[in-house]
Amino acid sequence: MSNTGESQDIDHATSAISPPDNKTRRYDRQLRLWAASGQSALESARILVLSASATSTAVLKNLVLPGIGSFTLLDPADATSADAGNNFFLNGQASVGRPRAVEAVPLLRELNDSVGGEAVVRNVEDVLSEEEGREWVRGFSLVVAHNLRKDTLERLAKMLWEDVSAPPLIVVRSAGFLAEFFIQFHEQCVSEPHTDETPPSLRITRPFPALREWAVGVDYDALDPTDHGHVPFAVILVRAVEDWKAEHGALPSTYAEKQAFKAVLRALKKKPDEENFDEAEAQAWRVWAGDAAPADVRKLFELSPLDPSTASSTQFTSTVPTDSEQQVEITPTTPNAPFHALLRTLARFADAHEGLLPLSGALPDMRTDTASYVRLQELFKDQARAEKEEFAALLREQHPDVASLVSADALDTFVKNAHHVRVLRGRRWGAWEETARGAGLATALQNQPREAATHLVLSAVATLLNDNPDGSTVTLDALKAEVHKLIGENAEVPQELEDAIGEVARAPTADLPNTAAFLGGLIAQEAIKMITKQYVPVNGYCVVDLVDSWTCVIGKDT
Amino acid sequence: MATEVLTNGDAQAADWPDRYYHVDQILDRPGPRTDPSFMAGDGVKDFLRSQCKILVIGAGGLGCEILANLALSGFKDIHVIDMDTIDISNLNRQFLFRPKDVGKPKAIVAAEFIMNRVPGVKVTPYYGKIQDKDDDYYMQFNLVICGLDSVEARRWINATLVNLVDPENPESLKPLIDGGTEGFKGQARVILPTITSCYECSLDMLNKPTAFPICTIANTPRLPEHCIEWASVLEWPRVFQDKKLDTDDPEHIGWLYKTALARAKEFKIEGVTWSLTQGVVKNIIPAIASTNAIIAASCCNEAFKIATSSAAYLNNYFMLIGTDGVYSYTFEHEKREDCPVCGGEALDISISRDWTVDRLIEMLIEKQDIQIKKPSLSTATKQIYFQAPPQLEELTRPNLEKKVSELVEDGDHITVTASSLPFNLTLRVKYV
Repeated sequence: MSNTGESQDIDHATSAISPPDNKTRRYDRQLRLWAASGQSALESARILVLSASATSTAVLKNLVLPGIGSFTLLDPADATSADAGNNFFLNGQASVGRPRAVEAVPLLRELNDSVGGEAVVRNVEDVLSEEEGREWVRGFSLVVAHNLRKDTLERLAKMLWEDVSAPPLIVVRSAGFLAEFFIQFHEQCVSEPHTDETPPSLRITRPFPALREWAVGVDYDALDPTDHGHVPFAVILVRAVEDWKAEHGALPSTYAEKQAFKAVLRALKKKPDEENFDEAEAQAWRVWAGDAAPADVRKLFELSPLDPSTASSTQFTSTVPTDSEQQVEITPTTPNAPFHALLRTLARFADAHEGLLPLSGALPDMRTDTASYVRLQELFKDQARAEKEEFAALLREQHPDVASLVSADALDTFVKNAHHVRVLRGRRWGAWEETARGAGLATALQNQPREAATHLVLSAVATLLNDNPDGSTVTLDALKAEVHKLIGENAEVPQELEDAIGEVARAPTADLPNTAAFLGGLIAQEAIKMITKQYVPVNGYCVVDLVDSWTCVIGKDT
Repeated sequence: MATEVLTNGDAQAADWPDRYYHVDQILDRPGPRTDPSFMAGDGVKDFLRSQCKILVIGAGGLGCEILANLALSGFKDIHVIDMDTIDISNLNRQFLFRPKDVGKPKAIVAAEFIMNRVPGVKVTPYYGKIQDKDDDYYMQFNLVICGLDSVEARRWINATLVNLVDPENPESLKPLIDGGTEGFKGQARVILPTITSCYECSLDMLNKPTAFPICTIANTPRLPEHCIEWASVLEWPRVFQDKKLDTDDPEHIGWLYKTALARAKEFKIEGVTWSLTQGVVKNIIPAIASTNAIIAASCCNEAFKIATSSAAYLNNYFMLIGTDGVYSYTFEHEKREDCPVCGGEALDISISRDWTVDRLIEMLIEKQDIQIKKPSLSTATKQIYFQAPPQLEELTRPNLEKKVSELVEDGDHITVTASSLPFNLTLRVKYV
């Protein structure tokens, strides 16, 4: 084909189209993960970091770069020669003798002009002893504490736990090659978990009228060969289900029935290369999976929101939804009120539709022609829009006070992810050791020896450093004695515990550059998940061993 | 391209007392799992800080992190290679770069930054390709760390380091530490060339790139991606003929976007955006600072342990998935006996006597554990098919229709070469 008269001037062709602005370009690689909604959540976040250690600045670096709103680095100490050697966010020896928070903040801020940052040269203990200081701490979106003195940490964790609206606290401990962190939070409602990229229910077994009408109207014998090879798999499956039900009364359930169902699909093929029928067979699992709400989502229907009046009790330690007889009323002051109102509306919707959740509207690609695909997509979109409107009306009717707090975007996101939404209930930092002390911890040490050993030894070293921060009292024997206080005097000790004790005794106060960087990345990932409510954060102690290079989670269960 | 060498004071003089307070806790005494060969104290410190020479390949997302970690850990003679210049979209994670650096070579800016921030560390940048350097160059290093986003470059350095191994000379074995990330996921691994599983051994672990059938793009587009592929694969060469598409040129992306949008409108397909257009044509992989930090730290931690023997090193693969909690898996990836790079054996293939040369080539392109685009085939005595030069291609083209069994005896070897393949692949043909 000749291109005479077709050759175009690029300048002219693109004059109406301008590339994205600098901010969008700068954040392009992360916007592809958490989109504008996640970015806007990050930009509203205010982070408090306690101690300007190498680990702390590593965490902050990974939060300043993606563009959090602002951060505060609180640390009373002057930079030492050792700090100048292991912290990338100090000016080498020039920083020695100056407050390390003050030295670090400008070097962190230069990573991203749009992030605010300030240094506060104070002792955390002093801040916590004033009501004004406690209020100030509670005003942040997230608090991170690295190797904080044990007494202070206990006080801080308790204070933040007592108030349901207080920010989550990430507790980080490290010594040499070993480390762990724990996120103390009351409740994390994940509206976009990104855990399952397969489009959910396509209503194969419960088709909406327009979809069913198309499927039952297909006359395979009347179609010309091209059209026959272009019937979309969703339509093929809906039709096959309808025919199967007419003949057998119920859906295929036994292995033999499922094989027979697949054989029916194969028999529809007129030519071996009709890939639409291959797709239908490969997607036949959708028939036995059904279209009702997944069990994990149904469990959330019974979940009661947290009750702020019982904040200081151990109620928050429940990790499974409590089965409540009478449902607590949701008011605008209920913790995570919009999410719980949406969840309860979802339950009502499922009730009214025999277990179905609102259609997500997403349609996977399938072998078909453009017109059929676009037609099918429009049917799905129209149906999804109608169901979303019905859902929105239910929300307004059931929760008039809270409905106004739910933005159109939030409602849209919730409905699109209705099949995957998650709710995590966290625990108070230290609650596991208190409830499992003795036999429980000893059992954990038998069941998950390397993970439990690492956690227990990091706990033990924190106790020893509480009174002697220079590490002078940290010996093999002292660590072992502390661990036995936790697991019982006569508890059996696996080799893994000896290894962990030896590793911590070797480097009790070492904030190694690589360990700091590793933690800096892990904790920033978790902070981003907590802030954006996208992706699923870790629940329990995340334990790290950089000798054998593994991570693992323990202390999740009561 | 010139190698710019920057010096940064006298390495030893810059070591103020207590500079290595943290790292020295590890280097002054062994841990319970430390190998007896560990020379605690001055011996190991001297090797790390005065003798060890390390090469970092890539000064991007992983590279920036790797350079900073190595410098703080006490490596003082660091070399870095990168062929790229800084783009604004790097700034959300490549933390050694600022807006004023956009357009400058990554290796040079990163090296300068590290030397300014960490006194006494010498970082020697090379702005260019890894393929520019010869065996002598790679032989000078004790260790190599890779933070690359290209499969091709990884295969090249992997094959180069495997070939460098001389059983008579232990110094010729250069441990290769390789990291990679995508979104909240990543992996780090240690490769001891010829001893452990190499990069080539694990090629089949890579995700198959999304490829849309040309008939879908041309005739039955359904997704916005199909319209974008139509614009870049079919329309661009038709309209601009020999003009090369530059995916870094916003005007070119703009044209593709506009063209794809028009096609989408014609077919009533929604969802063509600038961002998607760029993502499809550049095959953009999401990348964030935190994941790069984890993987780079893991790579540097292994480098530190290998260089000092202060603790056992990773055997040999660490995989992290951070989307649902923190999940990681540490395992030993096994060496492939028939690995074309480190296995030393010919790869056995069983084919039908009826297969044409063309069919065999198609099979090779499809094969996930080989990954070649345009293979050329020959035997010890015959040229079967050559992709280039054009005269040779023309001469061998008639063979495409011939049966392989007419050209190659059962049990004979076929040598496969390709420009993207940094080694010759030997196939042993068996007819079934």
